[in-house]
Amino acid sequence: MGVQYRTADFKTLERERRFQNPPKDKSAFPLLEEAVRPHVGSFNALTEGTGGGLLNLGVKDIGYKTIFDSNDTERLGNKLRIRVESVQLAKPQVPPNDKLSIDKKIWPSEARERMISYRGKLLLKVSWSVNDGEEISEIRDAGQVPIMLKTNRCHLENLSPDQLVNRKEESDELGGYFIVNGIEKLIRMLIVQRRNHPMAIIRPSFTNRGAAYSQFGIQIRCVRPDQTSQTNVLHYLNDGTVTFRFSWRKNEYLVPVVMILKALIETNDREIFDGIVGSDIENSFLTDRLELLLRSYKSYGLSSNRQTLAYLGDKFRVVFGATPDVSDVDVGKEVLQRIVLVHLKDNRDKFRMLLFMIRKLYTLVAGDCAPDNPDATQHQEVLLGGFLYGMIIKEKIEEYLNNFKLQVQSDLNRGTAVNFNDRKYITRVFSRINENIGQKLQYFLSTGNLVSQSGLDLQQVSGYTVVAEKINFYRFISHFRMVHRGSFFAQLKTTTVRKLLPESWGFLCPVHTPDGSPCGLLNHFAHKCAISTEESDVSGVPDALSALGVSPAHTFAAGPDVCCVQLDGKIVGWTTHQQSKVIADTLRFWKVEGTHNLPLDLEIGYVPPSSKGQYPGLFIFGGRSRMMRPVRYLPLDKEDIVGPFEQVYMNIAVTPEEIENNVHSHVEFTPTNILSILANLTPFSDFNQSPRNMYQCQMGKQTMGTPGVALVHRSDNKLYRLQSGQTPIVKANLYDEYGMDNFPNGTNAVVAVISYTGYDMDDAMIINKSADERGFGYGTVYKVEKVDLGQSRRRGDPITQHIGFGADEWPKEWRKILDTDGLPMIGSRVEEGDPIVAFYDETIGKTKVKTYHSSEGAYIEEVKLLGDEGNDQEFQQLTIKYRITRAPLIGDKFSSRHGQKGVCSRKWPQVDMPFSETGIQPDVIINPHAFPSRMTIGMFVESLAGKSGALHGIAHDSTPWKFSENDTPADYFGEQLRKAGYNYHGNEPMYSGATGEELRCDIYIGVVYYQRLRHMVNDKFQVRSTGPVNSLTMQPVKGRKRSGGIRVGEMERDALIGHGTAFLLQDRLLNCSDYTQTSICRGCGSLLSTQTSVPRIGSAATIRCRNCSAKFEHSSSYVDESDIWEDGQGNKFIGGNDTTTVAIPFVLKYLDSELAAMGIRMRYNVQPK
Amino acid sequence: MSREGFVAPQNLSSAASGFTSNKNNTVKYICTSCATNVSLGRNDAIRCSSCGHRVLYKARTRRMVQFEAR
Repeated sequence: MGVQYRTADFKTLERERRFQNPPKDKSAFPLLEEAVRPHVGSFNALTEGTGGGLLNLGVKDIGYKTIFDSNDTERLGNKLRIRVESVQLAKPQVPPNDKLSIDKKIWPSEARERMISYRGKLLLKVSWSVNDGEEISEIRDAGQVPIMLKTNRCHLENLSPDQLVNRKEESDELGGYFIVNGIEKLIRMLIVQRRNHPMAIIRPSFTNRGAAYSQFGIQIRCVRPDQTSQTNVLHYLNDGTVTFRFSWRKNEYLVPVVMILKALIETNDREIFDGIVGSDIENSFLTDRLELLLRSYKSYGLSSNRQTLAYLGDKFRVVFGATPDVSDVDVGKEVLQRIVLVHLKDNRDKFRMLLFMIRKLYTLVAGDCAPDNPDATQHQEVLLGGFLYGMIIKEKIEEYLNNFKLQVQSDLNRGTAVNFNDRKYITRVFSRINENIGQKLQYFLSTGNLVSQSGLDLQQVSGYTVVAEKINFYRFISHFRMVHRGSFFAQLKTTTVRKLLPESWGFLCPVHTPDGSPCGLLNHFAHKCAISTEESDVSGVPDALSALGVSPAHTFAAGPDVCCVQLDGKIVGWTTHQQSKVIADTLRFWKVEGTHNLPLDLEIGYVPPSSKGQYPGLFIFGGRSRMMRPVRYLPLDKEDIVGPFEQVYMNIAVTPEEIENNVHSHVEFTPTNILSILANLTPFSDFNQSPRNMYQCQMGKQTMGTPGVALVHRSDNKLYRLQSGQTPIVKANLYDEYGMDNFPNGTNAVVAVISYTGYDMDDAMIINKSADERGFGYGTVYKVEKVDLGQSRRRGDPITQHIGFGADEWPKEWRKILDTDGLPMIGSRVEEGDPIVAFYDETIGKTKVKTYHSSEGAYIEEVKLLGDEGNDQEFQQLTIKYRITRAPLIGDKFSSRHGQKGVCSRKWPQVDMPFSETGIQPDVIINPHAFPSRMTIGMFVESLAGKSGALHGIAHDSTPWKFSENDTPADYFGEQLRKAGYNYHGNEPMYSGATGEELRCDIYIGVVYYQRLRHMVNDKFQVRSTGPVNSLTMQPVKGRKRSGGIRVGEMERDALIGHGTAFLLQDRLLNCSDYTQTSICRGCGSLLSTQTSVPRIGSAATIRCRNCSAKFEHSSSYVDESDIWEDGQGNKFIGGNDTTTVAIPFVLKYLDSELAAMGIRMRYNVQPK
Repeated sequence: MSREGFVAPQNLSSAASGFTSNKNNTVKYICTSCATNVSLGRNDAIRCSSCGHRVLYKARTRRMVQFEAR
């Protein structure tokens, strides 16, 4: 700490030079690249790394599919083995039939402008052999797969800022997202269980599985080399036995754990007993249950390894779709390979791990160890977008092979000639099946829905992708640091998953989470938290361990009294607890030192023995998807990388002053490392009440700022832009390190805290009218409308609508806005109903126009003509970008950076504003009542700092935790104010702008950075006198878009009743709603039976009740001719003339008819009679 | 309806005369990729004449645009 780093810099010249000449080597902001690395790195891992990338590892795991060409149950027929040998992903290119384009590459900017997807070809090398003969292979095109930007499959990879600008990107384009139909989408990160570590769980829902099931279980999420996972659970049954549970293709299967053990290796009961109990033979709880476990298994009568495998294989033959040529034993082996502890290759390793898990389960049941908390970061890792993408591609490839098999099967059933040796037949099968895997991925990205047979071991089916909105840069960058707990947890009634736990210190930001329903589920990473996307090289770890005296894995040892040493979920040895502490410390020293071939990001999770605490051991991790963060290692004074598993048992000092000898091994580089990017940018956030900082993190993302500088080359539906963005005078140093000056988000404003005009009550703020006219908070909204004349046309139909004017007669005033080409002139203003595109419709021989639909006028900013890379069609598509000016209005929302939002209530003339002795008049006035209850002292400090910064012409650093009790910001900035000739405390005598008299108290005035929020009255206001009504109820429709009304609901009604305003109530609920005059029959009191009679010559139509009238018969006695009335069908009636007109709400009539349909009659007593 | 009937007229009187040389008065477009000026015929595909790029911008009008300043 201390005073040393308390300066900030405007860096104006540096910035200007960088803007004029973007760097030709690398980005000036490496931190930004670091922020999106989890996304980019995980996508890169699909195609690079050992084994040819995750995709190639995946197809290797899928293996062969076997097909026989006989429907006969007696004989098998010819055998075809087919597999995908390798996968290739190409960069986005124009199709080969496009001869016109000089540049064959498709760049991302084109995808954005043309509203297409940025995608590259997926190529599968499919190989097959007939009757185990020679393998034939063919490369199949599996469609176009969306490509993540700035990855190794994107043309933008490794481009310098200068080149990026030439490619119509931001100078510091980050990548990490996809472009799908012109919309930027990203796969959001998900929290999942930590891989390859058995977790002890007590879950009451486990008992629902069956009568004997208890709430105890051990769950392990095993991850294959291709990053797909398989969860295995051990259940404790109340009779003392243990069941192994797994789910396969969304079905659950339960197998006795001893069967799995015996199937894995040739073993005996003694070995199993020893491996679980070890030397704890005195533990009768354990030995009793183990005896039961082993004894109860005897009923299966399976003793040898082969017998067990054959038994397993027989049971799972159908589930795994094994062909008849495979023996039961081989099927059993496949089950073990695909299901049981898939992170391990060797069956002996699986066997040992399973024994460890059983022992942990018994320890949990006995109460000798605590359950692990699945909501703590310690037991979590991150499912990265790229890995999920790879998992989906893998599954789709497997589906593809299965479809091939099904197609052959259907050919056989249909009696079509099947000949595996005929190349033509194979090609025919390929052409019959859906080969377009790319389309499925495009669907996944555009909807976020996961269509999967296996469920991919995940708990949700939708909500995987989000739009990377570019409202401003804060929001954009936050998307990439966002991590969700999973939509499954959103429905949970309990709040335990949402709690902020100390385990997440330094990994998840405690401040940056939204309030409301996603609170605590949608978190953001601390800005220094990184996610590993590459496997660490752990080959040196076993050697280092044995050098430190760890006895090998086959040692006779078990249980929590000895220390089990595991490396990525594989038991590598055993040692004593005293030794293991030394081993963990030595390993850490070696890895920070960089010796013994140990990677720096190795996670050395030492869990010490405890009384009924977490199950002890030494758990070492070096895999992907781990969260990690840098801290300083004290013994070597070097950087160490720590993970959430080990951090729990480490002593990391927050500040150097805090370090205690023999206690702390590490110290934080800076305490701000625990905050997210956005939370770091809140000035003096350590002086604010914590919820205010949360609000600022939300509002920062809703600010009308600068979404980017390459706006000309974008076609977003809606973009907000602040015209008068400034760099804040008061900013954290991280602001510059993250290059936030490229995207300014607000304006420095002179703010007076005073109750002055009477218009500043309840969080309203007054803007100086002259400041408004100088451009304070002036913004623009860009909207893009796509016009596609081909949309209504079916495929293959000829083009009948041509953009441009036809030779027929058309209104000449269209030419005021439209050019000769039928497109609007750039810069012209359009109002509602104005033409924006003229086109000639061949079928009716007329020129028509499309019109502008918005009550708000706009200027035509850009018109882009969109072509097509394939068939050279006539011009059919274009986009029009509108510019809508949005000067600040009364009702627009503003906020400071301290969660202090307010609505502009007046633009006060400058002459009437108060002025200080130096003649300064505020740009913004806020009410002092905004502070006492909210306690945003940070805003006062910012005001002081901003004032002194403006007076001295310097920027001030607002990084939190830079000041202390003895060294307060009030002193630091007060002294500077005093030097500039101002009041030490920041308040000044001021004079009333209206009378010129001095105000009776000093006014706190300073400079605060103000953000304009995107919520503006122009998007919100809703008025209506008359308008559209619902045809069923005749009540006004709802919704601003349809110019509907605002509902006077039950509570509003109660208020009106409470005030006794009966006429108002009548007006709102009846007269302005569904007031109707209708006829009613006095006699029978029915609303529904009245009707108008057919007018006769000499008399007008009358209202008659059909119910009360009798049918006129000619035979009856004399009736007066004038009493007879006629309905529309020519039927004649007498009577029913006792009707009248009443005013009712129309819904009453509707209610009456609904009730009539149920056989209930409503009768009204009409008065006066 | 024949395709010949479709002519972008300069004004209503010339529209009646059918085909006119509209070379001199066509709207200019600018290629997004290479910034060359492109003029398009009536049923041309949207392609830059020099680089074959697929997006064209409409150039700002040469006509006077006048707004009421208030």
